[in-house]
Amino acid sequence: MADPNAFYEPEEDELLSSLAVPAYQSGNDASYEDEYRRLQELEQHAYAQQVAQQEQAELEQSQMLEVVPEDVKRFLVLFHQAILENDLPTITNMYESGWNKLTQAHYSQNEWPEAEIIAPLVQSDQVFLTLYRELYFRHVYAKLQPTIDDRFQSYENICELFNYLLNSEGPVPLDLPIQWLWDMLDEFVYQFQSFAQWRANPKNKNEEELEMLAEAPQIWSCYSVLNVLYSLVQKSQINEQLKAEKEGKTAEEVAEIAGAYGSKSLYRNLGYFSLICLLRVHVLLGDPTLALQTMENVELGGGAFLTRITACHVTTYYHVGCAYMALGRWPDAMKTFVSVLIFFIRMKQYHTRSYQYGSITKTCERMYALLAICTTLSPGPSDESIMSIVKEHYGDQLTILQRGGEEALETFKELYLQACPKYLSVNPPPYEDQSALESYIANPPQDATQRHVELFLSDVKAVRGVVGARNLLKLYTSIDASKLAAFLDEEGKKDREEEVLEQLMVLKAASRTYAKAQGEGSSLLDGERIVTNNLDFTIDGSMVHVEETTSHRRFAGFFIRNAEHAQRVFNTIRAAPLPTAKESRQTHAGGPSKGGPGGQQGQQGGGGAGGGQGQGAGSGAWQPRRQVRIAAAS
Amino acid sequence: MVDATQAVPQKSLKQWHSPDSRQEVIHELIHGVDRYNPSNLPYMEEYLSSQIKDGEYDLLANLAILKLYQFNPQMSNPEVIINILLKSLSATVHGPDFNLCLSLLREPAAILHDIESDEQSLITVMPLLQELHTLLRTCQFTAFWKTLNGDEEGAQILRQQYLPQQPHLESSLRILIATSIASCFSRVPIARLSNWINLSSSDLSSWSESIGWKVEGDVAVVPKNGDNDVKAGVVKESVELNQLTKLVSAAAF
Repeated sequence: MADPNAFYEPEEDELLSSLAVPAYQSGNDASYEDEYRRLQELEQHAYAQQVAQQEQAELEQSQMLEVVPEDVKRFLVLFHQAILENDLPTITNMYESGWNKLTQAHYSQNEWPEAEIIAPLVQSDQVFLTLYRELYFRHVYAKLQPTIDDRFQSYENICELFNYLLNSEGPVPLDLPIQWLWDMLDEFVYQFQSFAQWRANPKNKNEEELEMLAEAPQIWSCYSVLNVLYSLVQKSQINEQLKAEKEGKTAEEVAEIAGAYGSKSLYRNLGYFSLICLLRVHVLLGDPTLALQTMENVELGGGAFLTRITACHVTTYYHVGCAYMALGRWPDAMKTFVSVLIFFIRMKQYHTRSYQYGSITKTCERMYALLAICTTLSPGPSDESIMSIVKEHYGDQLTILQRGGEEALETFKELYLQACPKYLSVNPPPYEDQSALESYIANPPQDATQRHVELFLSDVKAVRGVVGARNLLKLYTSIDASKLAAFLDEEGKKDREEEVLEQLMVLKAASRTYAKAQGEGSSLLDGERIVTNNLDFTIDGSMVHVEETTSHRRFAGFFIRNAEHAQRVFNTIRAAPLPTAKESRQTHAGGPSKGGPGGQQGQQGGGGAGGGQGQGAGSGAWQPRRQVRIAAAS
Repeated sequence: MVDATQAVPQKSLKQWHSPDSRQEVIHELIHGVDRYNPSNLPYMEEYLSSQIKDGEYDLLANLAILKLYQFNPQMSNPEVIINILLKSLSATVHGPDFNLCLSLLREPAAILHDIESDEQSLITVMPLLQELHTLLRTCQFTAFWKTLNGDEEGAQILRQQYLPQQPHLESSLRILIATSIASCFSRVPIARLSNWINLSSSDLSSWSESIGWKVEGDVAVVPKNGDNDVKAGVVKESVELNQLTKLVSAAAF
């Protein structure tokens, strides 16, 4: 990239700042003096009133502050302190557990106190209050029903925050845990999505809401959301950084490329997560190629940075998989889903406390449904444990899908609707134009999800003869096309044989696709042509020769995995301290800590219980390593 | 680069997502934020015309045009939209290209409404293009040509206004169809081929020569290409030494 700032940057900043601060209309110059004086009087009067109101408000606020529970106050003061000191471990702890505990204790049914009320506690620190509001609105969205005011204010608040991060003089002296940064951007996209869906339906809106929507088309618009994300990407130079890291440059060289902003972890992480949010937004807006292109520098493999946050890991893989589905690259989509599902199953036990656990589980459930779709459209070997879960959850649907016919089409639609991303349309209804809006309501255009379902179904319809043709071919080694035509009869056409040959060409194409090569350095859009089905054929004139490749069952992987597993178990047991049974303490004084573990193996007979415990704890320690390894390999 | 006249599918997607014919400027444009800048639209549209003229194809650049239309509906140009759809139609039989374009577009009526155009041809042409796409991807090539050369209003508009603009369209459609045929057939009867390709038997032999097929009597012989000469095989498991390194090193103690 030559100079990413060259074209669009100034306009962007302009837009960003105009988004954050609501624009006030500058009053027309009063042409007459008395008019002017009158205005001035009015103003003074208004000012006095305003002062009185302010005092009144302050009084009320201080009264309301008294109502705030003591532990919440204490929490906020300490939270503020920790953020001022950039004390990451404390912030992490307070963010991940303190906040949630207090929410459960005091605010499970209502909002946290408004930022203005608690401002005195934190010396009206605007940065802290902005961060606080971000959490406040997130809580409203998660637990309560956001009103239009909440939606607008939340937008203004988050823009203020990004404005502070992006348009301050130099990088800001703030550091936040990665979990929070991810949650912040994730929530940003979520609220955008939620707003866009809410706005897309002009029915059931009251006068006031309609008016507000008409006046503020830029609130949560696609442009402004993309703007924020792209600005974060550019500011942090994240693409350049990732590219340099891939090329194996040293940490100093990378830091130099990253520049003043990107070398700070706050900006780097925000930039990185912005790429993933862009992936998501592009998928939602129906542009899968752009989505995958955005991720060209992001490593997706087992040890990638994004896997450090489960929610981020699951979101990324879900959207990458969906993008692959839109490209008809079913094996790649399946691989993507399977790898994150394996990871999720094994990590489950460690993540039950996260407040996002529910939404992560939902996304995983969707991926099982999508897997049922993919495996029908492109049958082939895949991870057995995951596929057995798919069968467990969607057994009935799978049978219908594989049977084919109209009913299958209906099921495809149902499953897809249930599991696909909630697509958005870029353009909101014309709220600013009353008559256009009325005709819009009278004759609403097709919504985005509906459009995408139709496109998906057209993919399905194109290959609907494939299953039947494949099953029939399995029975023969060679057969004449005219004979085949007699079996595969559909509504009578003149040239049945030609129809069969055409179907066979479709079958051939359905058994070929492009898949991402295993090698390093290939981007997500790259792919090599592969054969996806064992059953193949050639046609000589009108004679069809069927060739089926059989593959032996694979044993080696299983044995290697289990032998390595056994080795690890053995090593853990060997390394574990000897059981300290009470009666034998005197005879083995000091033994467990000092003695070589190998020598004590033989003496272990008596302490069976203790040894068992050691193994249990040990298995907890090695298990995650194994998960990561397998997730990477599959 | 695989020669497009050989009627075999591309081995990798490299040319699909970044063709050699794409200039550096365009590459940077569609990889940066500048792709959202509507003032680049004329430039991108010009690139489309050069693709049409030279028979090149750059899907990602064309999608970038549609993206700009998506964000700036008042700038939509129905003629460009139809050209892009025709381009993706003639680029791949089973690829996702055509649907990728559609997923960035709305119904024709809505598009025309935003540009306040009286020219209604988009409304008749779009459904026809979708029908052609369905016929093509289900390999109903005879029906495909019939529809394209048929009496429907959409087809007439296409033939009058758009096909003359696209000198390479017919030949690339033929290559495309030939690729599908070549993936299945080792020999194909001339009579059938002439329907699928929409060429009379007299023109067929020189056309076959041009893509390396030989006409022998009443069949055309398709050279082996890996898809039309598959042989049954048995895949055996092979274990590489490096899979066993851990076990071997553990055994060494």
